[in-house]
Parts: sequence; C-alpha cells; structure tokens
Amino acid sequence: MHTDKVKHDFEPKIVALVCTWCTYAGADLAGTSRMQYPPNVRVVKFPCTGRIDPVFILRAFQKGADGVLVSGCHPGDCHYMAGNFHARRRFAAFRKLLEFVGVDLSRLQFSWVSAAEGGKWVEMVTELTERVRQLGPLTEFRELELAEQWSGATLTTPELKEAYQAI
Amino acid sequence: MNKTARKYESAALADEGYWTSVSQAIRQEAVRLLEQGAVAGVVGYIAGRRTGTAMPVVAATPDQAKELIFSPACVNNLALYLTKAKKEVRAKGKLAIVAKGCDLRALAGLLGESQLKREDVYIIGIACAGVYGAHADRSQPLCDATIARKCRECTVREPTDTDLVAGTLPALPALEPLEAQELARLEAMTPQERWAFWKEHFSRCIRCLACRQICPFCFCEQCLCDRNRPQSVETTPRPAGNTAWHIVRAMHLAGRCGGCAECERVCPMDIPLNLLNRKMAKELKELYDYEAGLTPQEKGPLTEYKEDDDESFIK
Repeated sequence: MHTDKVKHDFEPKIVALVCTWCTYAGADLAGTSRMQYPPNVRVVKFPCTGRIDPVFILRAFQKGADGVLVSGCHPGDCHYMAGNFHARRRFAAFRKLLEFVGVDLSRLQFSWVSAAEGGKWVEMVTELTERVRQLGPLTEFRELELAEQWSGATLTTPELKEAYQAI
Repeated sequence: MNKTARKYESAALADEGYWTSVSQAIRQEAVRLLEQGAVAGVVGYIAGRRTGTAMPVVAATPDQAKELIFSPACVNNLALYLTKAKKEVRAKGKLAIVAKGCDLRALAGLLGESQLKREDVYIIGIACAGVYGAHADRSQPLCDATIARKCRECTVREPTDTDLVAGTLPALPALEPLEAQELARLEAMTPQERWAFWKEHFSRCIRCLACRQICPFCFCEQCLCDRNRPQSVETTPRPAGNTAWHIVRAMHLAGRCGGCAECERVCPMDIPLNLLNRKMAKELKELYDYEAGLTPQEKGPLTEYKEDDDESFIK
C-alpha cells in the first residue's frame, strides 16, 4: 500500500485550524479509512470555526507556518447554529486585509469539510501542501520575525559591535 | 506621493464670521442647558494655552460653558469620552456633547454598540467646514494647505439626528481627494510592493499605542494585545509584533470605524493608519453593503450574517 516516498528539497509546514464537529471528524475518517495524505499538516482543533480568531492565522504565519488551512462545517451544518456564518464574514474581511498588507493569499486556504468527507480533506491538504511547496518558504514573516532581534550576527556597524561586546 | 511638488492654495476656506457664529451657538446652548440643569456637563473644546490650539473639556458650570469655542484646531473626537470605559466622565450624569460630522459617526457607532443611550446624551452637532491636519501650520487659517486629509473628502459636513445644529456651512470648494488617491495608488501596487510599503511604516512604529488610546471604539477593558499567557500579539516594538498589532487593530475596527482618522493624527511616527481603516470600510461596503453613517445601526457587518453571503473564496 505504501508508495515510494519522493524526496523533496522543501517540506512546507502547514497548520490546519479545524472545527471539532466536522473537519476534525472528517480528518479522522480519512485516517480510519487509511487514506494517504502529506504529513506536513499540523492539525489544531477548535470547538467551531467561529472560535478561530483571525489573529490565530496571523500567529501561525508569524511562528513559521508556510501555509494555513482553515476548515469547518458546511454552512447550515454548524453545531452551534451560526458559528460558521459569522466566521465566513470575518474571514472574507480578513483576507482582504491581508491582501492589502501584501500577504500572498494562495498560502491561506479556507474550506468546508464535513465529517463524511474524508476524501475532500485529503484533497485539500494535498493541494495546499503541493501549492505551498511550489511557492517555497514564506520568507516575509520570517524576515520580520528576525528583524531587530538582538544578536551579534545582525550588528552591522563597528560601534554597535563594540558596544555589544562590552555588555 | 511627492508632497512638495503639489501647490497648495492658501486662501481661507471659511471666514472668521463662520467660526465665531458656531462658537456663539455652542456657548449659548451650553449655557442654557447648564442653567436649566438639563445636563450635568457639556463635553466641548476650550482654547489651548498656545494660540491656534484647542483642548477638550467637560464644562460643568455656565461660567465654564462661556469659554467653549469651535475653531479649526478642534481636532479631537469627543465621542471618546462617552464610552463606558470613561467612568469618571459618565459618572457625572447626562451629558451634552459638541460633535463634528466624524464625531457623530463615532457616536452613532457607540449608540449601536450599546455604549450609551440616545436619551443619556444631548448632541450639539456642528455644520463643520473642516479642521487642521496633523502637521498644519496653525498660524495660517484653515485652507487647502492646512486642512486635514480626512476633511478633504468629508461626506458628513451637515449633521443629522442631532438635538441642535450649530452654525451654517459656508460654500466650500471641492478639494483634491488625497487619501483616496493614495489608497488607489496602493491598490494598484503588486503584493510585494505593498508588503514593502507597510513593512517600512510598521517598522517605525514605537508601540506607544496612542492610536488605541484615542480611538472611540477601542474601549475593551482588557485589550487582546496586552494579554500574555497566551500571548496573541508580541508587545515589544519590533517589526513582527508591530505588523501583528496593526493588522489586529484594523481587523477589530473593521465594520465599526467611523473614519475620524484620529489614530493617524496622533501617530507620532506618521503611519498612515487611516488607509487601513478606509480600505476595510471600502471592502465591507463592497461585500456586505455596509457603511458607517450618522444613524445608529443595531448590527455591524461582522456581527450579523446572511445565509447567502459570498463564499467564492472557500472551497
């Protein structure tokens, strides 16, 4: 059953923020059905997509994710009646904001995956992983994270180096 | 945008008579209200110590109310003082407030978010010709060169839903919409260019949080961005945390911001924050046909939903 593993130069880190009632169960189904999908994805479980604050997506990117997948119940199927309806508007607005700030939106994927859609989950994860693999590592946020961090390596002028060594 | 290349007109937009008549009307009404005991205080402006400045005040006696003014230096958004967070102001009782068009939009937002009740506030609206920009030369009158960027494309000069309107609006020439032009310029850029643009601006941020303190809508008792364990946004003024802070700020104001541009005015590092707010307002108008206006609305675009909202971006 196992296919030969292909060696890649770059293995992207994908963070999946999923709702416990649908997508998490869907991912579970994919597992119990022994479907194969890239192991690059790290699943974080939330009670509902309505609980997924846009700041979580931002933080995932800042802390080293190359791609983020947000997934929950199909509209109308929310366990809490309207959580995903609210989330849908919030994510639509957040996407526009990220786009305006200059973030590449092809690294951020939203999807509806129900508890019965193990196949769709596999498809989503594979598609995003391959797409991000093509794009390469997310350098913008990483550079930002390293900027102005105190370490000898970033001291550019002799005066600064001297001052740093004197500490 | 090359600001030096542009020629600004220095002709005054409104004559002295307009400003004095507005001041007179405010004073008269404030004195009347306080003498009758209809309100406990009037939130307005008095002249600052230096010429060409003004500062907010809560006038509690008719004598204090006689000092109230309105001039192009009355830049502050006074709606800020009426949120539940400003306990010492609210404890005084029913208040009257002097409000320009942009303050009225903030007031409408606060009324919609149940921060205050309409019957608890007496609104003295101003037919507003505009105020000074952040770096205006205040020895000059209000003119093309000194007017704030937000006032160039103001749509709420004539107040509505107020208890009184002070002054009558002089005829104003159409001014070049600099902010809309800048927004269009940014939208036309590639994502990389936009990232570089914001990276440069956000990197300069010193995280003084003046933008948060001045914002009438930032009334949370504990800000998400101040919390640690778990920390959502890095608190040190480094580019990474700054970017996160400004994105979160814009997101939390999306669909609420009244566009008073106070955040941009108070920014000591001159970060064009109102561009973010305007962009979000524009997107929400396109997506959900919502616009912040002078009439309070019970639900904002992100607190309600429709079953057939656009989901073309979701697979």
